[in-house]
Amino acid sequence: MDGWDVGSQYRTNDPTTMEERRKVASDCESALQYGVKTYVDEMDDKVMINYAAWPERLFLVDIEGQIAYAAERGPWGFKPEELEAAIRAL
Amino acid sequence: MATKQQPPIIQSKDDAIRWQDQLELNVPKVGDGAPDFELADVAGAQSVGLSSFRGKRPVALIFGSFT
Repeated sequence: MDGWDVGSQYRTNDPTTMEERRKVASDCESALQYGVKTYVDEMDDKVMINYAAWPERLFLVDIEGQIAYAAERGPWGFKPEELEAAIRAL
Repeated sequence: MATKQQPPIIQSKDDAIRWQDQLELNVPKVGDGAPDFELADVAGAQSVGLSSFRGKRPVALIFGSFT
């Protein structure tokens, strides 16, 4: 494994192709069953970079396409309750 | 608009923090236009564009890295 050992039972190398990346994302979706559709960034990580979203981050985009909520960077800024409050405030 | 950046090889917590600090320079803020994107699902079959929701419904973006 060439990633970080965070004590999980899941082990994988960092994907080097889109096929590998989609497989890991699919495994994540199956394992966590979080109930939302998963989309996968391309290998250039463009979306992750544009949203400063590594390793995780939450945003809410309003109906006009503007940022209505932007969490602090993860992992410590990953607060689903704040996102929920922002959704309710719309 | 984000500058061209390449993810570094992260070998320590300090590496991770430095990478996050670099990314943070471009983070969208409340009131900014959300950077548009189009991504495919885990099967590579269906794509969705953020701008396709404009005028229709808000969108929650939940970013995560599983590796």
